[in-house]
Amino acid sequence: MSGSKFVVIDGNEVEFREGETILHAARRLGIEIPTLCHDDRLEPAGACRICLVEVEGSRLMQPACAFRTAPGMVVRTNTTRVDRNRQFIISLHLADTVADRDEAEDVSRSKLHDYAAQYGISEGDWPHVESPREGRADDENPFIAFRPDRCIVCAACVRYCDEVEGVSAITLANRGGRTTIATADLRSLDHTTCEMCGGCIAVCPTGAMTEKPALFYGKPERELERVRSTCNFCGVGCQIDINVDREANRIVKVTSPPPGTTVNDGNLCVKGRFANDFVHHPDRLTVPLVREVDGQLREASWDEALDRAVRGLQSVRETHGSDSLAFISSSRCTGEENYLIQKLARAGFGTQNIHQCAAT
Amino acid sequence: MTNSIPEIRDADLLFVIGSNTTEAHPIIAMEMKRAVGRGARLAVADPRKIWLTEIADWHLQIKPGSDVWLLNAMANVIVTEGLENRAWIAENTEDFEKVRESVLKYTPNEAEAFTGVPARTIREVARAYATTKNAGIFYTLGITEHTTGTDNVYALSNLVLMTGHLGIRSAGMNPLRGQNNVQGANDAGATPVFYPGYQRAAEPDVRAKFAEAWGVPQNEKRGLNLNEMMKAMQRGEIRGMYLMGEDIVISEPNVCKVEAAMNELDFVVVQDIFFNESCRFADVILPAACFAEKDGVFTNSDRRVQRVRKAVEPPGEARADWEILVEIMRRAGVKQPDYTGPGEIYAEMAALAPKFAGISHDRIDREGGLQWPVASADAPGTEYLHKGGVLRGKGLFMPVEYRAPFEEADIEFPLILSTGRTLYHYNAATQTRRSEGLSKKQPEAFVEVHPKTARELGIGDGQLVDVVTRRGRVRCRAMHSKQVKRNTIWMPFHFPTARTNELTTDAGDAVTGTGEYKVCAAKLEAVDEHSRHVFPGSYLTPMEAGE
Repeated sequence: MSGSKFVVIDGNEVEFREGETILHAARRLGIEIPTLCHDDRLEPAGACRICLVEVEGSRLMQPACAFRTAPGMVVRTNTTRVDRNRQFIISLHLADTVADRDEAEDVSRSKLHDYAAQYGISEGDWPHVESPREGRADDENPFIAFRPDRCIVCAACVRYCDEVEGVSAITLANRGGRTTIATADLRSLDHTTCEMCGGCIAVCPTGAMTEKPALFYGKPERELERVRSTCNFCGVGCQIDINVDREANRIVKVTSPPPGTTVNDGNLCVKGRFANDFVHHPDRLTVPLVREVDGQLREASWDEALDRAVRGLQSVRETHGSDSLAFISSSRCTGEENYLIQKLARAGFGTQNIHQCAAT
Repeated sequence: MTNSIPEIRDADLLFVIGSNTTEAHPIIAMEMKRAVGRGARLAVADPRKIWLTEIADWHLQIKPGSDVWLLNAMANVIVTEGLENRAWIAENTEDFEKVRESVLKYTPNEAEAFTGVPARTIREVARAYATTKNAGIFYTLGITEHTTGTDNVYALSNLVLMTGHLGIRSAGMNPLRGQNNVQGANDAGATPVFYPGYQRAAEPDVRAKFAEAWGVPQNEKRGLNLNEMMKAMQRGEIRGMYLMGEDIVISEPNVCKVEAAMNELDFVVVQDIFFNESCRFADVILPAACFAEKDGVFTNSDRRVQRVRKAVEPPGEARADWEILVEIMRRAGVKQPDYTGPGEIYAEMAALAPKFAGISHDRIDREGGLQWPVASADAPGTEYLHKGGVLRGKGLFMPVEYRAPFEEADIEFPLILSTGRTLYHYNAATQTRRSEGLSKKQPEAFVEVHPKTARELGIGDGQLVDVVTRRGRVRCRAMHSKQVKRNTIWMPFHFPTARTNELTTDAGDAVTGTGEYKVCAAKLEAVDEHSRHVFPGSYLTPMEAGE
């Protein structure tokens, strides 16, 4: 087959591309290979071994996430040997973590348990192994929880912290069964270089890294409704998934869409992921207020408040002219709202005095 | 941005100036880190040793306000060493000669004295920028929040035009928008200069078009920008105000004057999600829904129109801003369709603005965000601008001369104060201060002081100080930090206990009116620890401030 420009995967030909891994070549053919430790934003690590596939001419199976294709290479991802390995790996990981799905997914979803269900592996195939992994029980950072009993040490979180966020706040520590995700001196995350982006949570395949506020809220992600929206802080326009407890009309947490699908490539920062307390804050204005002649504010009906607003503006216009009014809009509001307020200024009150905090 | 956020990772050189990207735009910074990891070179021009300087090839630690000197000196290196892209200049630009002549006197050696950046570094960065094909410029308010903001932008665009780093991927001139929808607010015409879709208010044809569409004659008189409004208000020419989602007594420079003028207004409407500080001056306060409680679109920094979707119901009787505005318009007698939702409002705007003609809520729901211009419902979005030739026809070179900032350090006020944003808070912080976690991470106001400057002034690390300028005085903790240069201090503006904008000057850029938040003369005074419960110039009583 030398001289071929193709790679053959499960009998299908796909054009060879320099430097491409088996995982990505297979994806172009619509063949999904399971992965736990892999993320397209990270350098391949080949740590979890669930993606092993057969490569013709190679005695050992090879990790699809890290193994580069070559022209004429023949790969098989659907053999009994490959399947048996996947089941074996899933069973091993299950023995090392919380095997029961409901318990494992008490807060976040678990990709490992998705695969277990997909490959028909029930809990208890293997006896539970108690790994003496150290946690940070007294870590008082407000956002990110690490639960060592759920960790399978795939180190996706550590690699994300190094390679994507670039702050290297967490690290693998210790050896063998004691290997854990640690910080320097097991310090609280908020006393490290951590910037609380929560990327470690997004890449964790078992829910070992999870959002503290959601942990305290105590409703599994599976039971929440997901609403895709746009973050309301800076101008990057990150797409966010707002996870809502519909019955309670509450935002429980914000998660990031899968990498490669939106402008933020699956990334979020501390504000986008965690700064949503303000939505349900008791300080929110909930009723219209109008000021009395004595200078005090009192609650009013919408009807009264809107009427006062319009009459007040009209009376200024009548006394001092249209251009004595100023309309100040907000770059925090939507496009439609900005359209309406400039229309209000220009068509409703006859002035071009309309602006907002547009400094850049 | 002329170019797109996902293109950054493929750039070969990034020139970041006046942008603390890791804190203000963390996700764009991740793209930059990725480019650097791939081997791209990074030049950072900033008065502070910001995080990005740790991975940068060059840090140009510029004296605040000397940007024009630095950029003209870079242009000087490019033209004197013949590194300009002559073919591109000839084909795509006009008036290059004017700039070539004007920058000759800005030699790198002299620039060193004005900017504090070594001449050698200026030469290296200019050469690297000129000779790298995929070289992008990224800037934010460090460029624009100056009395010379427009000049700074022209000086940058001169560099782009003389090197031809425009109209190709992973290059261009990229202002990173500070707020979720600052692009979209301008797109929608919430600016005195433009009707929706950047149609000029000064042009009679444009006014006629909207007069016909809305059925109301349009005022010919040029409108005021925000900075001009604040000053007109101080002169008593503005008598009534409608404030939607903006807390001007925190965010405007020289706020003491703004407050005095607000007091004199005849009528003020505030529409907001919180009882913000401007509410103290309001006659009517209308409770609004926040972004998670309504539908609509935000336009991000790379012109990407994306959906905002309602996730939860607003609290109490609060209503979406668009619902409130529709009702106000109805009562003010504006003819309008019976909008059933923001999708129809967007459609009305798109029909009047050719740049957005192909954008609709339905299409975004189907395809995801769309980058304008989008000419029609079947046309794709625009990843980067100026492809195949400059949009304007010819890119215009604009010679600019250095002008000193409005205020420089002197004997009475020997320090230069610059202000900005941190990772953990956002602007007036009405939202982020209400996050328990963020407040824990960064609970109180501070001012960064170089340890040597602090030692000269006898100010310890963590000591309580007053930061004083000609306009005001605020109290916070001094933080010894080698991020700042000697004699330059830096403060975030997120904290109501220390309203940094009592200090800043409202001298504005001649064209945009943007205030000079980035430079003013200041001094520090040590304050006795007993005074820690008193916050001069703050609305908050010690109890409210959580002491």
